[in-house]
Amino acid sequence: MTKIVHVVNQFFAGLGGEEKVGLPVGVIEGCAGAARALEIKLGAEAKIACTIYVGDNYFHEHKDEAIKAILDAVRAAMPAIVVAGPAFNSGRYGMSCVEICNAIAKALEIPCVTAMHEENPGVGVYREIANARVYCLPTAEGTSGMNDAMTRLAKFAIRLARREEIGPALKEGYIGRGIRRIEKTERRGVDRAIDMLLKKMKGEPFESEVPMEVWDDAAPAAPLAQVKDRNIAVVTTSGVVPWGNPDKFKTYRNTYWRKYNIAEVKELEPGKWEAVHGGYNVAYMNQNPHYGVPLDALRALEAEGAIGAGKLYPAYYVIPGNQGSPAVMRRMGQEIAADLKKDNVEGVLFVAT
Amino acid sequence: MSKELEKAGLPVALISAMFPVAQQVRANRIVKGVSIPHPCGDPSLSKELDARLRREIVRTALKALESEVKGPTLFSPPVATGG
Repeated sequence: MTKIVHVVNQFFAGLGGEEKVGLPVGVIEGCAGAARALEIKLGAEAKIACTIYVGDNYFHEHKDEAIKAILDAVRAAMPAIVVAGPAFNSGRYGMSCVEICNAIAKALEIPCVTAMHEENPGVGVYREIANARVYCLPTAEGTSGMNDAMTRLAKFAIRLARREEIGPALKEGYIGRGIRRIEKTERRGVDRAIDMLLKKMKGEPFESEVPMEVWDDAAPAAPLAQVKDRNIAVVTTSGVVPWGNPDKFKTYRNTYWRKYNIAEVKELEPGKWEAVHGGYNVAYMNQNPHYGVPLDALRALEAEGAIGAGKLYPAYYVIPGNQGSPAVMRRMGQEIAADLKKDNVEGVLFVAT
Repeated sequence: MSKELEKAGLPVALISAMFPVAQQVRANRIVKGVSIPHPCGDPSLSKELDARLRREIVRTALKALESEVKGPTLFSPPVATGG
């Protein structure tokens, strides 16, 4: 019989709610709490060897120790598959499910499956990590979706245990990780591309082999009345930074942003600033950093009165945007938004390269 | 990134030469930049015209911030001529 380990938080282990979030990692032989529901759904083919739990806060505050303890417990049980969650829309739990699955898949090469609502921040981490052995199934927002989530988790876990071929996300119903795999086809790329083009020209439906990242819609923010009286700031992904790149940005895949002072600065002199970016030829930007941060124009418009005196934020925000993963960029956007709002900025000029 | 700023209630004028991409990713106020390596200006112009073009681009961006939009909208700065 297939052995499965179920990882849950303190609440779904039946040990307590917010007052118990500090509980360290513990192991219960067989199944406890939510794992009972999973075992019923697993049927005769699989059995839960043990239930591992960890407090929601303990995990995030003692991550290294928690992961080590979980790996030790999983190693001792030697299951075929690990199931974590479902975490629904619980952010801390969702993040820990994904990180635990990833650690187990990496260290022990055991396939893992978790489940949560698609807007759980854990899904962003899951996509970013994109571990081929870790799958995440979508669930409802709350525990009303428990029965359905457990049914699908059990089914998926059994398929993984049988080493069944798991196809693409769209077909199999797990959340896509953006992993591309090599497939053999009878027809050359050029023939397939021409087919697609002909279909497109005829207005017929066709399926791209390289689907674009799915973008969520942000409703437009309300316009600013009297922009000259509003606090505005410049944000750029051009990678223009003080000469010498003091914060050691890389030319690609950066994961942090910085802001640099421009109060009292009239213009950005070449030689004092440079562009760090691996996605475009930075020669023009180095000759004239205003192509990325148009400070000379902003100062001129200030003198004209189109921008009120003191209304331009005294620093600009930057990150070299090259190859940034959408999840990381979203996180940085949120951080910059919070920083801007703290200083009462009302509108943003965003220069993207 | 710009969309997270909008979600926080900050209107964003996105100056980008890759405006079709900006439209595709559903940015709302898009200002047409000159080219990818130099969105705010054109090094083939004289210094003065280049600076003037940059002013027009920023002016257009400020105007975009004042404009009511319902979805992705492209704002084109007036084109500088001559060189």
